[in-house]
Amino acid sequence: MNGPLPPTKLGFGILWPAFWTGLPFKLALAVLFLAFGIVHFENRIGLAFLMLLASPVTVLALPTITLGLDSHIGEGAGIWLLFVLAVPIDIWALRIVGRTFFLERLQREPPSWLGPTLWWKCALVGAMYVPILWMVQSAITETAISAANSIFETSLLKGMPVAERISIDLTIWVTIATATLLMLFIIGFSLVGRMIKGTVESAGHAPENYQGLITRWDLMRVPADQGLMLTALSGVAVVLSILFWFSLPVFTPHPHDCCKKPEVKAESPFKPLETVNKNEKMIAHLAAQVELLVEQRAKSELGKARRKGKGKAGTEAVDMREAVDTDSPAATNQ
Amino acid sequence: MNDTPSAGAQSTVAEKVFTFVDERVGLKLLAAKMLNESVPGGSRWAYVFGSILLFIFSMQAVTGVLLMFYYVPTADHAYDSTQYILHNVDYGWFLLSYHFWGSSAMVLCVFAHMSQVFLWGAYKKPRELIWLVGLALFALVMAFGFTGYLLPWDQRAYWATTVGVEIVDKVPVLGDFMARFLKGGATPGQMTLSRFFVIHVMVLPASLIALAGLHLFLFRCAGPAGPFRGTPTELKAKTDYFFPRQIWKDVVGMAVVFACISAMAFWEPVVLLEEATPDPGDYHPEPEWYFLFMFQHLRLKMFSGEFGQFLASIALPGALGVVLILLPFFDRNPERNIFKRPVALIGWVMLTASILLFTVSAIINRSFLD
Repeated sequence: MNGPLPPTKLGFGILWPAFWTGLPFKLALAVLFLAFGIVHFENRIGLAFLMLLASPVTVLALPTITLGLDSHIGEGAGIWLLFVLAVPIDIWALRIVGRTFFLERLQREPPSWLGPTLWWKCALVGAMYVPILWMVQSAITETAISAANSIFETSLLKGMPVAERISIDLTIWVTIATATLLMLFIIGFSLVGRMIKGTVESAGHAPENYQGLITRWDLMRVPADQGLMLTALSGVAVVLSILFWFSLPVFTPHPHDCCKKPEVKAESPFKPLETVNKNEKMIAHLAAQVELLVEQRAKSELGKARRKGKGKAGTEAVDMREAVDTDSPAATNQ
Repeated sequence: MNDTPSAGAQSTVAEKVFTFVDERVGLKLLAAKMLNESVPGGSRWAYVFGSILLFIFSMQAVTGVLLMFYYVPTADHAYDSTQYILHNVDYGWFLLSYHFWGSSAMVLCVFAHMSQVFLWGAYKKPRELIWLVGLALFALVMAFGFTGYLLPWDQRAYWATTVGVEIVDKVPVLGDFMARFLKGGATPGQMTLSRFFVIHVMVLPASLIALAGLHLFLFRCAGPAGPFRGTPTELKAKTDYFFPRQIWKDVVGMAVVFACISAMAFWEPVVLLEEATPDPGDYHPEPEWYFLFMFQHLRLKMFSGEFGQFLASIALPGALGVVLILLPFFDRNPERNIFKRPVALIGWVMLTASILLFTVSAIINRSFLD
């Protein structure tokens, strides 16, 4: 406990708890922005999330990865907003964690401005190292995948069943990729540890014994005004809940092609009195038409009878007139 | 008498109600017993999984009850009512998606909780009974997932259940009876849906509440195990009460889980396939994701044939279950530090890695089936 910590342990000891301390706040913001619809992560959801949650070291590396390496993790103003909002959260988390770590693990007096100091050092290491990690990891993973695939192209293994082939292929390249990632992480933690070593060495030793240090460390975690802290946290929780429910879409924001409902026009409401009146008008109109037609027919039959009485002369002319009458619209309606 | 301050004259209505209840049931004593439990070595993030599981179960119960207001458990209406929940009920898509992803979160958290107990050596004497009840709770969580998966009555649900019941059928002696009991007929149909629904909404919740209560009771009897490292002086110096620090960590853990499940509901809301039919058509039957590693084993050539299938689907998982049950009884070494228990550490890493490997393999295998 009293001896100097190796840089890897130092870096890990600060970054790991800082990651978890900031996580709930960043996660709450991420969900809220998702509900607002201003964040659209692409295929690399896991990576995007890790980048966000590990923002003390990724905040300055992201522009390089996005622009320089042409490997963007998503779209929407929310991503950039999240990273900007992550800065004060990270500074606060590093301050809390740093003070605890200095007292409890290093038994040293935490210096003032510990949060901002740790933040800029972590962000600087991240800005230089994370893009390198990204490139190396991508290159090694791609090489491992193609190497694993090429093994199965050999005549000896060509007839291997699909399930076995997938499992062996996956085991080979995942082992290589995981080992590489672990190694790169250890180097990264070591770099962060080396970067903050100066801050540790310049801090004076804490005068208390172990019990005294723990008591002080314990009291540091208790807010000065507990009532205010509780009220503030409850208030934030209530505001976040209200914002979440207001921004939550009432219906699914992702209707699937297979399940789209057919467009159905709503029928106008049935009004019995209006319908009866309308039908009565229609019946009266039709009855008048029928009456008119009956009258016309009677007239034409009367005309025929008169013409018959005059004799057979002019029969052809009458037939012609009848034909014209039959073609008329009134006749067609009969 | 006159010297004692009149507390009743100044107390508020809430205090009066509290005093009234306290006099009858001993609220203060109960609260003190619940909250003032000492946590050796202080509060830790590693201890949050038990509380998170209780939280997820409560949320599953709430969303499940809300879904039941609209769901119809009959073969001719289950699919339509689920589609109605997804497309017509206000916030129905979110409720169903939250319930769906909540079940996955529960499986993950059970695994995390069991891993923490195993790695911390917290199953050892005197906590054997807590471990055994925990295993039974794990089985119940898996049963929740299995029975709930059928309820939407789409092709995925139907065929996942068919595959699952076929695996149950392979269990010696009881398998045939259990498979017939679950199906209620030659093929999954109305009887299957009714039985799965009743088991999902009545039998399993009641069993889980009873066993979770027993689990907590046994935990309070034995007390927390504490960290596996640290000198007695360090542990004593850091020892803390359950309230407020561990409770604060638990609350933060619950908020994180709520946010994660909500985020998953946004990214991947539930989308149903075609309505269930006894003809799989183009659909390749497979169980839900947490049984995929077992399903992928069945595709390996070494597990082909009647005996091979029995070995992969029943014998090996069964043997693992027996090992887990007997673990506290044959591992009598009081050493709890995982870094001084290499067999346990390597065993856990191998098991976790193989579950991950075969689950991903099963997902990749899908593209070779089309």
